[in-house]
Amino acid sequence: MKQHPLCTDCEPEVDITNLPIPAGLKREWTAIETRRRFLGRSGKVLGWAALASLFGESAFLERAARADVKSSVTSPGRNTLGVPHFAPKAKRAIYLFMSGGPPQMDLLDYKPNLASQFDKDIPDSVRGNQQLTGMTAGQSRFPIAPSHWGFKRYGQTGTWVSDLLPYTAKMVDDLTIVKSTNTDAINHEPAIMFINTGNMNPGKPCLGSWLAYGLGSMNDNLPTFIVLQTKTNPKENNQPVSSRLWSSGFLSSEYAGVGLRSGGDPVLYLADPDGVDREVRRKMLDAVEEINRQTLADVGDPETNARIAQYEMAFRMQTSVPELTDLSKEPQSTWDLYGPEAREPGTFAYNCLMARRMAERDVRFVQVYKRGWDVHGDVVGVLPMLCQETDRACYALVTDLKRRGLLDDTLVIWAGEFGRTVYSQGGLSKENYGRDHHPRCYTTWMVGGGVRPGITYGETDDYSYNVVKDPVHVRNFNATILACLGIDHNRLTYDFQGLDQRLTGPQPAYVIKGLLA
Amino acid sequence: MIVAERVTGAARGFMKQIRIARSAWLAVAYVCVLLMALPFVFRLDGRAHADWLQFLGRFHPALLHLPIGLIVLVPVLEIAGVRRAALRESADFVLRAALALALPTLALGYMLAYGAGDTGTTVTRHMWGGIALCIGLMLCLLTRPAWALGGQAFFYPGLLGATLLTLIWTGHEGGSITHGSDYLTRYMPARLRTLFLSPEQSGASADSFYAQHIHPAFQAKCVACHGGNTEKAGLRLDSYSEVMRGGKDGAVIVPGRPEASMLLARVTLAPGDPHFMPAEGRTPLTSDEVTWIQAWIKAGATATATNTPGVNLAGAPSIEPPPQPVGDYSQLMPEIVRMQHGLGAKLVPLSAKPSDGLILRTVDAAPSFGDAQLAEFQKFAPYIVEAELGRTAITDASFETLDKFTHLRALHLEGTSITGSNLAKLSALTQLTYLNLSGTKVSAQSIAPLKTMVQLRHLYLFNTPAQPGEATTRSTP
Repeated sequence: MKQHPLCTDCEPEVDITNLPIPAGLKREWTAIETRRRFLGRSGKVLGWAALASLFGESAFLERAARADVKSSVTSPGRNTLGVPHFAPKAKRAIYLFMSGGPPQMDLLDYKPNLASQFDKDIPDSVRGNQQLTGMTAGQSRFPIAPSHWGFKRYGQTGTWVSDLLPYTAKMVDDLTIVKSTNTDAINHEPAIMFINTGNMNPGKPCLGSWLAYGLGSMNDNLPTFIVLQTKTNPKENNQPVSSRLWSSGFLSSEYAGVGLRSGGDPVLYLADPDGVDREVRRKMLDAVEEINRQTLADVGDPETNARIAQYEMAFRMQTSVPELTDLSKEPQSTWDLYGPEAREPGTFAYNCLMARRMAERDVRFVQVYKRGWDVHGDVVGVLPMLCQETDRACYALVTDLKRRGLLDDTLVIWAGEFGRTVYSQGGLSKENYGRDHHPRCYTTWMVGGGVRPGITYGETDDYSYNVVKDPVHVRNFNATILACLGIDHNRLTYDFQGLDQRLTGPQPAYVIKGLLA
Repeated sequence: MIVAERVTGAARGFMKQIRIARSAWLAVAYVCVLLMALPFVFRLDGRAHADWLQFLGRFHPALLHLPIGLIVLVPVLEIAGVRRAALRESADFVLRAALALALPTLALGYMLAYGAGDTGTTVTRHMWGGIALCIGLMLCLLTRPAWALGGQAFFYPGLLGATLLTLIWTGHEGGSITHGSDYLTRYMPARLRTLFLSPEQSGASADSFYAQHIHPAFQAKCVACHGGNTEKAGLRLDSYSEVMRGGKDGAVIVPGRPEASMLLARVTLAPGDPHFMPAEGRTPLTSDEVTWIQAWIKAGATATATNTPGVNLAGAPSIEPPPQPVGDYSQLMPEIVRMQHGLGAKLVPLSAKPSDGLILRTVDAAPSFGDAQLAEFQKFAPYIVEAELGRTAITDASFETLDKFTHLRALHLEGTSITGSNLAKLSALTQLTYLNLSGTKVSAQSIAPLKTMVQLRHLYLFNTPAQPGEATTRSTP
């Protein structure tokens, strides 16, 4: 090996003879590595190489074609994957994510028989051999806590809704309520990863990234996938929500969710600094792109393409985002519908209004996170706050989409990562109780393009503990969402780590036909 | 001499036939009387009898196809016998075999009806048909020898023909008992149906919840056994009055009390339960149908109410017309692809299937997309199924182009400056089901022409002079 002229630390040349291996082996190697053997072996190597190029060409071309898809800068993934596989009912989706696990039996899963069983132990036959969380596993008994709130029937469908949700009650005839959603994980992080990415371990792309990858953008001036976080309420038990929930995993980072900030500037440093006008900015970006293209030519890393695309996107967002977030032209009817909270950036109502504005501007997927549903204790104190923050805004969003003609092709999803137990965590009194995590059943709803309005799907037992009819596993829930958007979940795949990766994972998943319109 | 001998031989033979026939005639007459008396001795009174009768009776459907096949074979053999005499000779044996099987089949059938307590017009007709068939067969057997010898040229063939017609009729009645009387006509094309069938009578007002939802469910799932043909347990579900009359155990519907209504109880048992209805592996009611019945009973089980609380009607399958496939636009594909890589308006395939058509998407260039730009898309017009023109700069003049978009199903014009003065042009778009005019200046007057567009189901007029601050989806045209 050649020594660098400026190197003072002399490195001994590497040779078989001075490698730390047994001397017998060294002798053997030097003996067999003859000229004849070398020529013979190289002949074989050439033969194998030729064979590989013959067989491998098609596979190689396919890979190249895929890389090409990634490199189209202005239209990521558009029309090159054969997606949508069939005519979609919904073009876009808004996902209202209730992080923490809303208690289904206090909201939509009405269990009239519980009232008479106050403070009785939940039957062993119902609980079965289920493993509990560390928070209640040590409890000596599991007393049933009936819901503190009354339920009434609403709408033509006569759906039971808790008194906590007076606004949701007004739209039950439009909703597709799924009472039998169930998941595999019992703790927040694995469960929230699971419903978002189809896998409990981080590193897989989330639903929004798959949609961005498969369906592409509809509006080149805004991100395809936007995430809105709701400001936290310190009185609530806020579980962390991290950006890996909207990560694109192994997909190109173009498909990752773009988080808008809940306070101040929605996107930091988007405005040009003083003294820099749009012309200067354009020139700067052109120069950066030139450099990036050289890097791409030298290195061939597709992530460089993602970077170029993101610079261009940011440039266009400099005008599109201020227009998006400018609420001054909203008519009075908007404020009447969403309520005064919607004027304050970062509230759930504001985010719902933003979600509607994004839907209007054809953002493919908007995910609104609302934290705080993790009601381990003081359900009676905290749950009304949570409902007060979200109930009206959910109704406003659905109603607003409906009256503007957007609900026909927008799918709205309301879901958390799991449900809560019917038995009380900690002390149970007539006045208050707590509820632990419960993965075996929970209630979600959808509305809009693709789903069947005015139905309640699935049933739980008298304790809202087990699914007794029409279970909807999170995998199937996701497959159904994809179906509404024209995607066959088995065919939207990405070759990674030797597996055709998909949102629903390697286990079979099914579209729930009963949910579809 | 020879001729005389032949004549006497034939005459002697004929006499011999008559002689044999005389005792046979008596036997046949005796059996006929027995068969005819059967229904009067063992009356089908609607009550179930001994289980062993039913056990044996259920072999009736297994056995009956054998005599049918043999009976049908008889005329085939007789006609084919014109060419090959040997075949005609075997016809006699086949006829005897048919009769030998028809009698036990009749007996088993009677056991089935008597044992299970089946009554109803179809059962009665099927029974008389079976009896007539057996009698016909016996008469055929009696008259055949004379016909074979050349005498009575028309008596036997006529009898055989009548027997065949009886067979077809009886078989059809039997099939109606098993599969329901509308089995053959259920999937008849609508045009034929109007020719042959009188409209179904539900005994309730046509727009009532009963006529719309309950009656069709009963028709499809229940009346095969509880209808005019067969009245198992004395219960008929083929009209409103019969449903409310109930069966031999009393009323099956208690208005307002689903929990006390036997009908609902029986259809909601566990499918393995011996009392579960529909019985015997017939298609169970769907959960929707059960929900409808339950809600209908709860609401008072009337024949007139059109609206039943607790029932999802919005969820009933929509009857939107299926989308029409668009033509082949592969020639224009290069241009379409080029557009997609720009930042202006573009055409996007609705799905991977080209015949699903294209979407005209203008959101990236909305402020600069005007009537002139729209006109440039005219050559793509027949392939565009959805035009997203919301918040663009198009004006009323755009309708001159828009009426060329013949395959358009959805048209977004929200937030544009159109006034709707020539919305009537849209009536050329026969497939348009969605029209969004929110935030435009259309007035109640200018949208009047849309009323003639029956297929237009989703019309949005939010924030317009036509409907200020109010939302609507026109659900029914």
